[in-house]
Amino acid sequence: MKEASQVIGMEATWGGGGSPFAVSWRKLMMWIFLVGDALLFAGFLASYGFARLASPEWPERSQMFHLEFIALMTFILISSSATMATAVGAAHRGDRKLVLRCVLLTIVGGVAFLGMQAYEWTSLIRAGASLHANPWGVPHFSSYFFLITGFHGSHVLSGVIILGILAARLASGRAREESPELVGLYWHFVDLVWVFIFTLFYLI
Amino acid sequence: MASYKTYWYTWGVLLVLTLGMILAGGAAISKVWIVALLLAGMLAKATLILANFMHLRFERVGLILTVVMGIVFTALALFFGIAPDGVRILHLGQ
Repeated sequence: MKEASQVIGMEATWGGGGSPFAVSWRKLMMWIFLVGDALLFAGFLASYGFARLASPEWPERSQMFHLEFIALMTFILISSSATMATAVGAAHRGDRKLVLRCVLLTIVGGVAFLGMQAYEWTSLIRAGASLHANPWGVPHFSSYFFLITGFHGSHVLSGVIILGILAARLASGRAREESPELVGLYWHFVDLVWVFIFTLFYLI
Repeated sequence: MASYKTYWYTWGVLLVLTLGMILAGGAAISKVWIVALLLAGMLAKATLILANFMHLRFERVGLILTVVMGIVFTALALFFGIAPDGVRILHLGQ
């Protein structure tokens, strides 16, 4: 009688069965979750694109945004993704101190991003923007803006909380070996979504 | 597994691409070219993050195809399935 692990290892890639993707079930479930979440964002952004194309006019971006400020937010998020990738690399090499240090740096980046987003939202709300109206003449604009950046911001907040739990577990030596990689996949996804939001909202 | 150098090289390329896109957004060229450049930059950045930060290039082809094609084809199918209805609704009152 063969062990289950031997049977899984012997199965061909396209033979189905135990491990056709050659990743752990946790990692596979994380990827499946991310694909589902990506489609949710794709739906939002496609809807935004359609509304924008269908609208005869759209507010000029310089009226509403300070591009230098948004560029700094982007810089912080990309840098936090690099520190997270370094944490995952360190976890694979067994360097626990570096993992914890990089996870903490990633948390700092996430919190800074959230603080800047809160500042940006406050400025727009003070200027008269809400979910159903704004002073720039196209109500759709602020509806989509608050919905999509808010949904992304809630992902950043969840990521910071998950990173905090990971840091606590790392500090107490209770983290699973695979945890930094799984949390890393989620954090990079947050960065990936921002790449689309930054381009479609702030640059085009 | 990628080296630390790869992560920070990717970080540098992402920053350069971001800066390039900001400059392209204000360039004195036709709007069509600006949008094309920005979309190309956006896709290049997304590919770099997926491949190097999320380590997708080290996974089996089966997983890569499931993730990339899953997102791209489902998003396109959803968009082209829903957009015609959106256009029809827009013209209902005319």
